[in-house]
Amino acid sequence: MKRMLWLAALLLATVGCVRGCPSSRPPIHVNPNMDFQPKYKAQQSSGFFYDGGTMRVPVEGTVPRSTLSPDLRTSPEFTTGIDFWGSQVETHPLPVDEALIARGKERFGIYCAPCHDPNGTGQGILFEKGGIPTTSLLDEKVRDATDGHIFNVITHGQGLMPGYGYPIPVEDRWAIVSYVRELQAEQWWE
Amino acid sequence: MSSRTYWRSLRQLSDRPAYREATAREFPEGASELPQGVSRRDVLTLLGASLSLAGLTACRRPVDKIVPYVNAPEEIVPGIPLNYATTMPFGTSAYGLVVESHEGRPGKIEGNPLHPSTRGASSAWIQSTIYGLFDPDRSRFPVHAGERDTWEGFLAAWGELAAIHDDDLGEGLAILSEPFSSPTMRRLKDLVQERFPWSYWVTYEPTGDENVYEGIRLATGAELQPVLHLERARRILSIDSDFLVNDPEAVRHGLAFAEGRRLTSPDDPMNRLYVVESGFTPTGAAADHRSALPSGRMAGFTAALAGELAARGLPLELAGAAPSADEVGIDAAWLGALAADLLAHRGAGVIVAGSHLPPAVHSAVATLNAALRNVGTTITFHELRDAAISNRSSFGELVEAIGNGTVKTLMMLGGNPVYDAPVDLDFAAALAGVETSIHLSDQVNETSQAVTWHLPRAHYLESWGDARAVGGALSVIQPLIAPLFGARSDIELLALMATSEERSGRELVGETWDGIDASWNDVLHDGVLAGSTLPPATPEIAPSVSTSELTLPAKAADGELELRLTPSLAVHDGRFANVGWLQELPDPATKITWDNAALISPATAQGLGISSGDVVRLSYRDRVLELPASVLPGHADGAVTVALGYGRTAAGRVGNDVGANAYLLRHSEAPYFDGGARLERTGATHRLATTQDHWVVDELGIEERQRRVGSLVRSGTLEEYRADPEFVTRHDTPHPPLKSLWSEHTYDEGFQWGMSIDLSACIGCNACTVACQSENNIPVVGREQVQNGREMQWIRIDRYFAGSVDAPDEMVFQPVTCMHCENAPCEQVCPVAATVHDSEGLNTMVYNRCIGTRYCSNNCPYKVRRFNFFNYTKDTPAPLGMTYNPDVTVRSRGVMEKCTFCTQRINRAKVDAKLAGRELADGDFQTACQQACPTRAIEFGNVLDTGSKVSAAQGQDRAYRMLEELNNRPRTSYLARIRNRNPVIDEGRS
Repeated sequence: MKRMLWLAALLLATVGCVRGCPSSRPPIHVNPNMDFQPKYKAQQSSGFFYDGGTMRVPVEGTVPRSTLSPDLRTSPEFTTGIDFWGSQVETHPLPVDEALIARGKERFGIYCAPCHDPNGTGQGILFEKGGIPTTSLLDEKVRDATDGHIFNVITHGQGLMPGYGYPIPVEDRWAIVSYVRELQAEQWWE
Repeated sequence: MSSRTYWRSLRQLSDRPAYREATAREFPEGASELPQGVSRRDVLTLLGASLSLAGLTACRRPVDKIVPYVNAPEEIVPGIPLNYATTMPFGTSAYGLVVESHEGRPGKIEGNPLHPSTRGASSAWIQSTIYGLFDPDRSRFPVHAGERDTWEGFLAAWGELAAIHDDDLGEGLAILSEPFSSPTMRRLKDLVQERFPWSYWVTYEPTGDENVYEGIRLATGAELQPVLHLERARRILSIDSDFLVNDPEAVRHGLAFAEGRRLTSPDDPMNRLYVVESGFTPTGAAADHRSALPSGRMAGFTAALAGELAARGLPLELAGAAPSADEVGIDAAWLGALAADLLAHRGAGVIVAGSHLPPAVHSAVATLNAALRNVGTTITFHELRDAAISNRSSFGELVEAIGNGTVKTLMMLGGNPVYDAPVDLDFAAALAGVETSIHLSDQVNETSQAVTWHLPRAHYLESWGDARAVGGALSVIQPLIAPLFGARSDIELLALMATSEERSGRELVGETWDGIDASWNDVLHDGVLAGSTLPPATPEIAPSVSTSELTLPAKAADGELELRLTPSLAVHDGRFANVGWLQELPDPATKITWDNAALISPATAQGLGISSGDVVRLSYRDRVLELPASVLPGHADGAVTVALGYGRTAAGRVGNDVGANAYLLRHSEAPYFDGGARLERTGATHRLATTQDHWVVDELGIEERQRRVGSLVRSGTLEEYRADPEFVTRHDTPHPPLKSLWSEHTYDEGFQWGMSIDLSACIGCNACTVACQSENNIPVVGREQVQNGREMQWIRIDRYFAGSVDAPDEMVFQPVTCMHCENAPCEQVCPVAATVHDSEGLNTMVYNRCIGTRYCSNNCPYKVRRFNFFNYTKDTPAPLGMTYNPDVTVRSRGVMEKCTFCTQRINRAKVDAKLAGRELADGDFQTACQQACPTRAIEFGNVLDTGSKVSAAQGQDRAYRMLEELNNRPRTSYLARIRNRNPVIDEGRS
């Protein structure tokens, strides 16, 4: 019995005071259970690098292995939307087909629709709830813009819009461009 | 079918009671006892303060913050690795690699399938360079006269030095570099010499290919690089060359050699390898016929072979008499059969000589190859462009010049001459006489400690550069990460010397490549410029062998032995001494880890009264070295082999004071081998950390094992195989019909993973073991733990000898890893279901469930489970944690682990296939061991897919499964080893 009491006291001392005793210290973690490992994971903090993270930026000028064809991989028109003379490309470098437009529609729904509205009117949820003015993709200026311009706006952002180059891969950005053109064509006829 | 008896070690054969006792235990004696003092943590566990795990000790959850990218790079998705092509320079060789990058941190290293030097495979050395990048003992800042300094400080100091040498036109300036093969290095070397025309440039490496180039120059009159095409060779003769493993081009050679003997049916053609060697190397183990001969007799052997070939009608002029086979010490019938075989395969054979043999041998070998019409088919010669090769004599002149006081400033680009220069030159004393010595090095090594300026050198994974690989293929070195410690690369330092300005490596390489017609982005993507291999040269080789120069050594005095010094298979010339993975890698033949030993043959050992583990005194030219002896069956009699690269004093926390420094015996007149060595016992003993008696497969007594080994590792000759393609089944253990105790699972749908290992292709090179260690976060445990049988490598390579003790005619390697038995004995005894089967046939380990009973290991018939006796990874010092694969758990103490068939790779491939909207196809991914294997001995895939490579392999008539009679249904099958014996030699013997 005495032993049980001791054990209870010990238990209370180690894991007790769970409620009602606020502490700025992190919670007790009795069984380490390999929850924290000395490997470097994505988005983790690290004491080694000066910026306190584990993630590094690739060295400037390096080229990773890619599954794209050599023609596309090395084409600046495709990767940047800007041609050899430094101007934004007039038309899409990829062959436009139904599959590409379908892909564009799907990606548009994920990344663009919240602000620009699924129909591209610019009256998405952000405008509705927050009253933030969003460009209508059916506007004259967007209709007149080159494909390369739309691609670059997606990549780098414009005004309040942040750049989406990071979450959306290059092929998908072109797919979104073709879907935007498709939307514009549909709206024209209606 | 001969009833071969196999044995694992001399200890087993001698049948001592201690061995009997050891085999009766699961782990060697002491393995489950507490270690003494703190020495159990002698490798990595006592290192540094733990940074990321500081919170654990207080039992509180560590405070971990999310640190995202500020400006996220477009190509990176956190958690999804990218791959970059790059190139690893290694002397005048270079290896094309593809390196995995996790959010901008390099991780696993693989060969580049597009690159001719590796074709997708790699070696233990290549794999372990990632450890060198994140080595916690790397040099972190410039050191001036023993004090921490800065690059700005060095820039100022160089400014003053440059002014002095601009005045004397570089007369007092000497530059010591390692061998290289790189257009940018070459360009900058010329620029430096333009600025300092009277400066002295010396290239030196302790174990280079100098003799090979000198020999070829003697034969052809030009400096040409020999390139072997073993895939075209039907007959191969190696004269003391370990071209399959201990060779700069070993990865290429392994692939090509295996291609020449890959059997899918009994009718396939197969090459034949003859080896004459002094040690017992993996190449000797791969041989179909092997003879042991001390290195000193190789020149005589070459002359005797030339004589034999000439006598059999090869148009060859002999300048001098050829010694007879008896004088050389080789079986005359053997030599005759070899010569006849080479003659019968003119144009489809090749002779290779070890790079340590004198130039006269290489000259003779080039002549023989030319006379046999092999030049142009199985061996080609290529112009050596943009390269500098090691030169011992100019290194000697440099030391002399320093002694004369002419050298005021010595710039050393890499290398470690204080440690590895010939001992008679006394480089350390010479260096002390130089006014200003500068050493660029990745570690503060023995040389760095003795110089005025030490500068940290960038690793190849953090610098820009270029290289010419085998045959001159132009390759790019692309950095995977910015220099961790602000280090500079060789080319950046050379540019600083040439211009007194700091230039970035990228600019320097770009300037060189401006003159090369290539799409730069394509070259960076591929890692190699397609079609840049230089066309073979067509040298004139006169059919004349000066046999008078190929002399036999004088008869050894009584008790004198030949001393042979070789680069180590683990740490090479000492440069990899601080790499724990390599120190703990068992030597293929001796299975020794964490040590080098004096290797002698059983007969020599008996004559001297020495046995394995005795500390011996090795004396040579008034110098003495004490080290442990190890008796290696099959070693040449009257010779002792010692590996270089050990006994470092400033390698770092892993490599310091491991083994004995054989450079202390190395004389510039005979750097590789020489007679006149003596060996005597000191009376002391040393416990070598070997893995050969551990993990004994079964415990039913020595006779039982002797009987059984033949069924574990099955082999036969090509003749036997052709006569009876199903010969492997004759080794099956008779057993009653197999019936399970419970209703069995069926594994007949979806993916069912399986592996096949071809023992005919395995050369025992250990690449798979290190690849697995790198991929799966396997800890290094240290010498004491290995002595206790607690090594953690998931793949062990069993090595068996066959034949007599003095001249075993066979050494067989058998990689053994988890077989993923369908009816797994380990799963049946786990009380907490920590090891269970999944629907794809994987025997999985749930680490969190494991409570460490070790019942599973006890019940495993293959002994492939590894137990974490301690928390080996707890105090991993920064930045070594970056070598861990983020996709694999880092295991803690008390947890059992074993091969997972690289389940993380399977799952990634499945996800990728699903995202791409297609079915997972055969070859979409490879396991780490499979990918690294230079001979493609390992196949892995879906055994239900009849079109998969693994199904084809498992369906071969050579296939068998180990211990199948236990009804455990292993998923891994082995392909029996086939040797292509020469019937003429075998008939003569029987």
